[in-house]
Amino acid sequence: MSTARRFFFHRSTLRALISILVFVALWEVGARSKQWFGFAVPWVGNIPAPTAVLHVWIGLLGDPGYWQSWYLSLLRVLAGFLTAMVIGIPLGLLMAVSRNFNDTFFPTFEMLRPIPPLAWVPASIIFWPTQELSITFVTFLGAFFTVVINVLGGAKSIDVRYFQSAQAMGASKWDTFRRIVLPATVPSIVVGSAVGMGITWNVVVAAEMISGGGGQAGGSGGGLGYFIWNSYVGGAYEQIVVGMISIGIAGYICSELLRMLGGYLTPWLRTR
Amino acid sequence: MFREHAASMQSPPSREAEQLIVRLLKRTMPFQVISESMLQSVAGVSRPFSYRAGEVIYRAGDKADDVYVVVSGAVEHLLSETPTTVERNRVMHSGDVYGWAAVLGQDKRVRLATATCVETAEVIRINGAALIERLNEDPATAKVVMSRFATMITREFGAPAAAAQIAAPDPSRPDAPAAAPRPQGQATGLALTMFRMSRWLRSPKPLLMLLGFALFLGFWYLSVEVWKLPRFREMPGLTVVFKEWFSKNPTYGLSFYTPEYYEHIWVSVRRVGIAFFLATALGVPLGLFLGWSRTFREYVFPVFEMLRPIPVLAWVPLAILMFSGSETPVIFLTFLASFFATALNTMLGVESIDESYTRAADCLGASKMQVFRHVIVPGAMPYIFTGLQISVGVAWFSLVAAEMVSGQFGLGYVINTSYTMVRYPTIVIGMITLGAVGYVTSAMVRVVGDYMMQWRVRELALGGR
Repeated sequence: MSTARRFFFHRSTLRALISILVFVALWEVGARSKQWFGFAVPWVGNIPAPTAVLHVWIGLLGDPGYWQSWYLSLLRVLAGFLTAMVIGIPLGLLMAVSRNFNDTFFPTFEMLRPIPPLAWVPASIIFWPTQELSITFVTFLGAFFTVVINVLGGAKSIDVRYFQSAQAMGASKWDTFRRIVLPATVPSIVVGSAVGMGITWNVVVAAEMISGGGGQAGGSGGGLGYFIWNSYVGGAYEQIVVGMISIGIAGYICSELLRMLGGYLTPWLRTR
Repeated sequence: MFREHAASMQSPPSREAEQLIVRLLKRTMPFQVISESMLQSVAGVSRPFSYRAGEVIYRAGDKADDVYVVVSGAVEHLLSETPTTVERNRVMHSGDVYGWAAVLGQDKRVRLATATCVETAEVIRINGAALIERLNEDPATAKVVMSRFATMITREFGAPAAAAQIAAPDPSRPDAPAAAPRPQGQATGLALTMFRMSRWLRSPKPLLMLLGFALFLGFWYLSVEVWKLPRFREMPGLTVVFKEWFSKNPTYGLSFYTPEYYEHIWVSVRRVGIAFFLATALGVPLGLFLGWSRTFREYVFPVFEMLRPIPVLAWVPLAILMFSGSETPVIFLTFLASFFATALNTMLGVESIDESYTRAADCLGASKMQVFRHVIVPGAMPYIFTGLQISVGVAWFSLVAAEMVSGQFGLGYVINTSYTMVRYPTIVIGMITLGAVGYVTSAMVRVVGDYMMQWRVRELALGGR
């Protein structure tokens, strides 16, 4: 109880609450300026007010279509993200372990990396037979490059003395990999996947907007990105903001879960 | 060397003496690895000398003609590279080589150091010009010896500037390896780059890199145009894309020769440029204040953190609603992504500053403004530049999305319209161009960052010693 009280009455918590309340109040006043004062504040005047958004959101909570969007986006993020991990981590480790492999494939990898994942959307739609697969592929690309680069960076930063002492004590190649490379790269895998998760949500939203928003997928089955785009096209501006907040929450939960998992996997990095 | 020495010059080496010289040379750094016959040949141009303790063998500024190898005794070598730099001295014993100014490039043969005999010394002197002459009979060996000279000068005498001027094997000889053009004067960054480049070219790396490219392009070509694998055959093929790209009269209206191509590139670069500039101009100060003032952070950061998890692309419709026209929303979206990256990294940079710096400044009576100006800003610099690099990357990322959804002109727009208009090769041209332009802009930020971060690089290098 006392910890809870300390948290709620702590100065920084109070200040955070104040700042968020001020932000929302300004937004409310700005958005309703036309209605209340007769003139629209630039920019903010064109967007829906937070109370209106909240009203619409409460209405949507009972709508299965809204939750279906959550589910679809989450599924795509997970599919793309897990594929990126499954392919990216071994590839990164292989590049870290074998110099020849690295010298052969890293330049090609570096050549493809600067192309933003979203530029792949049309090519991906042409290539993959279903909409679902093409969105998942682009999502995969978003996380893939980050994961590989992070694994490789982690392996490159290993102190060479570890290898030398392992070799001096007669470690086999496998031992070196299992006891040195793998544990040393776990922290960077965790960091890479956290960054990758952020990119994944970005990409999923955009891919859903571009491909679903193009009009191929119908109904409410398009994920949160499509939900936003559809609301925009349909003129339901409050829903746009609902969609944005929902994506923010979903992305935050995913990153937080990943951070917890990462903390569990790297107990030696825990500060307390 | 025209000055008179009290040195006793002995007769040219007898066969026996020559063997001794060969054995001595075999122990020296530059000649360690060369063949017996070449050593014989070198021994032929060397003459033994001896000096008494206290005798000056040569002075800095003298004309340099001979290279010296110590047989016995000790010689002090006092190097003063420029009048302002610290002098370095080194005492040499049997097997050490000095007087290497004699093998520097033709017009550089001036003594950079003063050599003094500190203990009665037997030395052999090898005429530099004659040595190079003999060595050039076998260019491969000449190269080895010269590069070992360079290494020795850098490592043992700490004079990399001199090492860069080492005489190259004579390029006029038919089978002499091509000598890289060496910049005159100081060893510059360019010389270092050239050296790294030549080392890279000699390693198997370029071949493997070409192999990687060949595998990738070959797979693309074969799977799409030769084997016509299912799914792959719908993709634009390698030859189709490149023919289109380099065509003077492209089928789909976009190639190297059409002005529209450059117009699209320019529009995209301009948008990224404006967004990046705004994000830096607003994000860096915000980040600095967030990190500097606790009160400010407690009030502002929660809102910042509340908005940050929302993917930039989710802002697209809202941006279109908020800003009129088609240009402002695109720039706003690009700006938003960069802004968060820059502000966050700057804040982390301020937090990373060791607290003792601020305390020390406070103790010395620095005002708040002075602490900010001389501690906070430079301390956060490395993080700021990391942030700027990330910022350029995400700027391109969101620019493409914004242009695809609501743009007119720009590379993202090209990619998207080419899809809807079924101009498939143009999609790939757009993608490659985007990758190249994106790469160049990030490289530019990195170069500027490295240039401004030189003090930090030096600090790291010193720390690593």
